[in-house]
Amino acid sequence: MAIRNLLFEHREVAGIEEMDVYEKLGGYEGLRRAVTLERQAVIDDVKTSGLRGRGGAGFPTWIKWNGIPKNTDKPHYLICNADEGEPGTYKDRELMLKTPHLLVEGMAIAGYACLGTAGYIYIRGEYVEPAWQIRKAIDQAYKKGYLGKNIMGIEGFNYDLYVHMGAGSYECGEESALMSSLMGERGNPRLKAPHAPLPVHEGVWKSPTLVNNVETYCAAAWILKNGGAEYAKLGTERSKGTKIISVSGHIAKPANYEVEMGTPLLDLLKAAGGVTGGKLKAVIPGGSSVPIMTADKLDKINLDYESCAASGTMLGSGGFMVFNDTTDIVLLMKRTSEFYMHESCGKCTPCREGTRWLFKILDRITSGGGREGDIELLLDICSQIDGRSYCGLGDAAAWPIVGAIKAFREEFEYWIEHKRSPIGDHAVPPTPVVVNPLLTLTPA
Amino acid sequence: MAESVTSNIREPQPAPAKEARFSELAIAELEEIASHYPERKAACLPGLWIAQREYDGYLPPAAIQEVADRLGLSYSEVEGVATFYTMYNLRKRGRHHLEVCTCLTCAVKGAYEVVHKLEKELGVHVGGTTSDGEFTLSEAECLDFCGAATVMQVGDKYFTQLTPDNVKQVIDELRKSPDYTPAKLADSIVKTLLPGASETGGGSYSVEDLKNPAGPML
Ligand SMILES: Cc1cc2nc3c(=O)[nH]c(=O)nc-3n(C[C@H](O)[C@H](O)[C@H](O)COP(=O)(O)O)c2cc1C
Ligand code: SF4
Ligand code: FES
Repeated sequence: MAIRNLLFEHREVAGIEEMDVYEKLGGYEGLRRAVTLERQAVIDDVKTSGLRGRGGAGFPTWIKWNGIPKNTDKPHYLICNADEGEPGTYKDRELMLKTPHLLVEGMAIAGYACLGTAGYIYIRGEYVEPAWQIRKAIDQAYKKGYLGKNIMGIEGFNYDLYVHMGAGSYECGEESALMSSLMGERGNPRLKAPHAPLPVHEGVWKSPTLVNNVETYCAAAWILKNGGAEYAKLGTERSKGTKIISVSGHIAKPANYEVEMGTPLLDLLKAAGGVTGGKLKAVIPGGSSVPIMTADKLDKINLDYESCAASGTMLGSGGFMVFNDTTDIVLLMKRTSEFYMHESCGKCTPCREGTRWLFKILDRITSGGGREGDIELLLDICSQIDGRSYCGLGDAAAWPIVGAIKAFREEFEYWIEHKRSPIGDHAVPPTPVVVNPLLTLTPA
Repeated sequence: MAESVTSNIREPQPAPAKEARFSELAIAELEEIASHYPERKAACLPGLWIAQREYDGYLPPAAIQEVADRLGLSYSEVEGVATFYTMYNLRKRGRHHLEVCTCLTCAVKGAYEVVHKLEKELGVHVGGTTSDGEFTLSEAECLDFCGAATVMQVGDKYFTQLTPDNVKQVIDELRKSPDYTPAKLADSIVKTLLPGASETGGGSYSVEDLKNPAGPML
């Protein structure tokens, strides 16, 4: 079976969000084991595990941890990226809501290994319920001496953990924008390497900073408890362990599924009860930013970084969206481009203007005003955004459009030629309620 | 999210009045939170959350000015932050702010029908507030609980698996409820930021609690 519950092992246990239940089931053993090891040995264990960042990019976690200076000339800050904003993803929500201590433990372990001064869990403002569970877990961990001064009796292991709430911005999930936001600024990204020092050398407040996703820290807690080698037994050659996939859309049993890396995509589809309301048309496997896949290609895709990339898509954050044949891909892409237009931070021109143009053209096509050459125009704008924008949001706005045109070009052509949906009147998503008055002021 | 571009733009208002509305407790909260960071500026987002609670669910210029004064920042710095994030209300909202997710999954699962139903039920368009001040209706971008589509956020709560059929029931319950207001949302967020706040079970605490390391607040 494809499902392998490591992080989710105890998610159904009543009261697992409380310290006593969590400890009874082996909680904080990872931290206990970690502090018996040299700091470098903790990082090496993470290296052995092969864990890669679960926030979307899949960067090897141990390299980041190892990059933090081994001295404490400056304070070291650890950030947990809990700004989960990628449409289709809701794994961090469940991890924080059900097993908040796993995250607190993971961040305490990272605090030990990376000589952390303080940690900040940056949670999106909408996630009040998960944040409250984290608040409770942190308070309980302080009481138990897993956080604070001289943690677990170790002289000089001082580490504080704080909650920081966002206020509604997808862009703040991008790590440099997140750092701006944490420092009390607008959520604009910052200059990156090679033009600026890496965050592990100079992040927030010009100090070494580690940024990892919620699932990454949770996996680190599991790894330190069970050993990196144990984690590395699961998965494929280059994608180790498990990945939590959030399944949504036209599917019988939408939920978070923790699967072993390399699980065939169709197995997950089956485990989730299969498509509902029609025939399977397409799947977006990794959140709205990744290219859409047609149903006939799915049997070749496994859920790991390499297999997804080989098929022309990405595993991303694991936002797995299923669409049946009532879905109009052009309308879907219009809604996608609207999301990126709204969330663009406005710092750089290709993204700020480009996302708006993409939306305007797709809006025009789906309002029956499509013109010959619109597809080429869309592709041209995408190529002007992709790789030319200041941060990854621009790229993420372009990829799905390019992917959709590649996979479903005939639907775009149909819209332009016939001025109506190839699916018919009951296509989803339906056209929206109101048109943005600001956008209609300037005709395309 | 079509409407939000205009509906959250501030109406013309006079220059910020020099009034201070933060209670003694609010000031203690802000000072506690500011101590979590090496720089006071980092307390800007939390400060705006406190202000949104103290100023009854939105941020008039006076609220921005007060946050700026208390953190030693300029008005424009704080205004810049307040206008960047969608959850800071620059206009007063209804007693309940209904934010229906119409992003990808919710859209294909019928979010627009829910929005239409609400428009009919409340007699307002997206972006509007009912004449009795009870409800403001908005669209939201992905609230990231897509498996439970259609999702609607009201105050600090998510309502899930909404359909045109069951949404009326939610509205009726909300009419009766004193909770889920914009100020309550801000209050819940402030509480998650305060070490030891869970010891009170989410209830109230005093300035002394905040200052006393041995008290219920750590
Ligand atoms: C536009 C954009 C949005 C992002 N949103 C998130 C997010 O919501 N959560 C997250 O963990 N990472 C997000 N990321 C990825 C982060 O920049 C960063 O790579 C990640 O937090 C690193 O953690 P990891 O190594 O554990 O994956 C986003 C990236 C971009 C470009
Ligand atoms: S690509 Fe540019 S405009 Fe878009 S979010 Fe990034 S920095 Fe902002
Ligand atoms: S699409 Fe509505 S919660 Fe994600």
